[in-house]
Amino acid sequence: MELIIFYFKKLFKILRNEVLVLPSRVVVGIFFIVLLGLPLITQDPYIIRIVILTSIFAIFAASWDLLSGFTGQMNFGHALFFGVGAYSSAILNIHFHLSPWGTVPLGAVVAVLAGLIVGIPCLRLKHTYLALTTLAFPLILLGVIIALPDISGGELGMTGLTRITNSLLGNYYLHVVTFLVLAIIMWKITDSNTGIIFHAIREDELAVKASGINTIFYKLLAFCLSGFFAGIAGGLYAHYMRIAGPSTLELSLSFTVVIYAIFGGAATIYGPIAAVFILFPLLEVFRIWPEYRMMLFAAVVLIILLYMPEGLIHWIRDKIEKECPRCKVRNVATRKTCRICTANLD
Amino acid sequence: MKKRTFGWNVMLIACLIMAISLPAWGKTIKIGVIGPMQSLEGRDHWNGATMAADEINAEGGVKVGKVKMKIELIKCDSNEDKNITDAANAMERLITNDRVDLIVGGFRTEAVFPMQDIAMDYKKIFIGCGAATDELCNRVGKDYKRYKYFFRGTPFKSSYLAKTSIMHLIACAGVIKKELDVPIKVALVAEKLSWTEGMVKLIQGYVPKLGYELVGTWQPSARATDVTAELSAIQKSGANVIFTVFSGMVGITFARQAGEFKIPALQVGINVESQKEGFWEATKGMGNYVFTMNTYVRGIEQNELTGPYMESYLKRYQQVPTYTADTYAAIKYALVPSIEAVGSLNADKIVAHLEAREYKVPSGVIKYEKNNEGVYTHDLTWGPGYLTSLGCQWQDGKLVGVWPNNWMPDPKNHPDLKITYKGMVPIKLPPWMKK
Repeated sequence: MELIIFYFKKLFKILRNEVLVLPSRVVVGIFFIVLLGLPLITQDPYIIRIVILTSIFAIFAASWDLLSGFTGQMNFGHALFFGVGAYSSAILNIHFHLSPWGTVPLGAVVAVLAGLIVGIPCLRLKHTYLALTTLAFPLILLGVIIALPDISGGELGMTGLTRITNSLLGNYYLHVVTFLVLAIIMWKITDSNTGIIFHAIREDELAVKASGINTIFYKLLAFCLSGFFAGIAGGLYAHYMRIAGPSTLELSLSFTVVIYAIFGGAATIYGPIAAVFILFPLLEVFRIWPEYRMMLFAAVVLIILLYMPEGLIHWIRDKIEKECPRCKVRNVATRKTCRICTANLD
Repeated sequence: MKKRTFGWNVMLIACLIMAISLPAWGKTIKIGVIGPMQSLEGRDHWNGATMAADEINAEGGVKVGKVKMKIELIKCDSNEDKNITDAANAMERLITNDRVDLIVGGFRTEAVFPMQDIAMDYKKIFIGCGAATDELCNRVGKDYKRYKYFFRGTPFKSSYLAKTSIMHLIACAGVIKKELDVPIKVALVAEKLSWTEGMVKLIQGYVPKLGYELVGTWQPSARATDVTAELSAIQKSGANVIFTVFSGMVGITFARQAGEFKIPALQVGINVESQKEGFWEATKGMGNYVFTMNTYVRGIEQNELTGPYMESYLKRYQQVPTYTADTYAAIKYALVPSIEAVGSLNADKIVAHLEAREYKVPSGVIKYEKNNEGVYTHDLTWGPGYLTSLGCQWQDGKLVGVWPNNWMPDPKNHPDLKITYKGMVPIKLPPWMKK
């Protein structure tokens, strides 16, 4: 009993001193609570479906940010990892009759290999050349898929995949909890020493090399980690949709994920996630005006990027929070002095 | 006092609106029309369905038991030509939010699969009016209990599309042999897209079996703006038949340049661009004598329903319907008679009644197929007396029907059986072939 009270007090202390002091953390807390508690408010299958798919695409968008946002390895063919995850899971499920509990992680492992295959030739490339090279990989895989219809289903894709669970709530919690766990892992990676090295590679690779850090290893690690998370998203998508088709490798998917990341704010992890949770449901809301749906969507993205070039979440965060010029700790915008070092914030 | 009067007025107006709209949402059959509404295929889905609903509602609606119910259409843009996830979401929304009773539409195969799965999850009848892949109906035969609510509305399955193209080739070869008395040499030209690969293999295998010579296979890009290299090679090969498999703009380029160079060969097969009325203008008249498969052609009547349907459609939309406009037939001739017969909107009862029926539609007669185990696949029966589609040819600025015209589907066993639809004219060879 004493132990429970101890942990309860510790939790309360963390809440009071770490979470409630910053509006952005409060918003994240509310987001977690709303996401986990949504089925208590509604079990409308359409809303549940939208949240599940949003969660899947949020993993995908965050995985792009991990590679391109943090490490600066501009990947314009990120759909490759998603497609590899989707197709690997589908092949294992359809041809080898493996359960989705096994196919999704194994699909992610195959996506890691894809990350290595893409990463190695890309090590020598930078900027536009890197972007154009990565753009080619999903197209190459698409060609392979079309050429092997007996294995991949050709242009029609692989259909009849089993769902991980057929229960509405089961599906909801499986996808949402997976998303939350993976998002935390990705955020933790970027907050660790590895994340700092990723960030440093993006800022000045030569300086990182000069510091004795093996940048090749870290760049490949970024490709593999990104491939792993995108592969999980692809596998979850294939089993949820019950199809893995050429659309999982389309250029439009690669560009959509870039739009999400830039809209929310790159190199944050939470930025692309927030962008998916805004844009994906927004596109559904725009079904009210079907003729103008895509135009409205494009207008929203353009306006945000025009007035908030750093991304929506960066902009909002800068409005509600201030960074201490001395200790770099963030404070709520209404404070006059830093909550840690008491330096003047104005 | 003024405030009170205003309040009463508002209440009165609200009651009136309720009273007017009550019959609309109280006693209607909701039919979801799903398709890529920003493209021609989706627009025709909607046009066909609207025409059917208007005609049925004008006659008082659908008799469900003792009650007459009007049809209420729910338009749903699936955006499936661009986004598969969007299409699946649209289907879920249609069923769970709009609460439709029945669904017609669907176009892109990769999107129709998840849409079909969602409809089956909710046991909603879904008549597919666009995707041709065999697998959609094979699923019904393999797992009837789950997929029995899916029916193919149009077109017939892709393996039958290939079969029909072979029939068209035989018909054209027959005319060439009769008029020119030369051996048949076939040049196969298919756009470089994945959907043509199966067709290319089939034609390459089948042409020699027919006793024709296959002189070569050419695969230009679907967006090619110049095919003179291919045409020169075809001319040198001595081909007198060019079997085309085109869905893209290359169909216009190829026809225009073949006409300009007066290539002495008849073009037959599939050329989607030549099915459109603007083809003559697009090729500046050089697309003369191009032969293609089609569902509807002005002046051709597969049966007594075709004429009135074409007339109404042309009057209303000023264009010839494409095959996706067969949402009209799916509602008017498939769903409504079955609902009236069973007197209920119970999906299981409607399925049991509909699958056993044989009924006329403007493009022929529909009979649902069974697989080898005798299980219904809800696929469309192809052949004489059922659905055959049409072969049409551009002749001096007009798209005319040329097949089936004295078509003998089984000359060995039934030498007397010849099929000709009303309004057919003979196939014409380009005059420069005769020189």
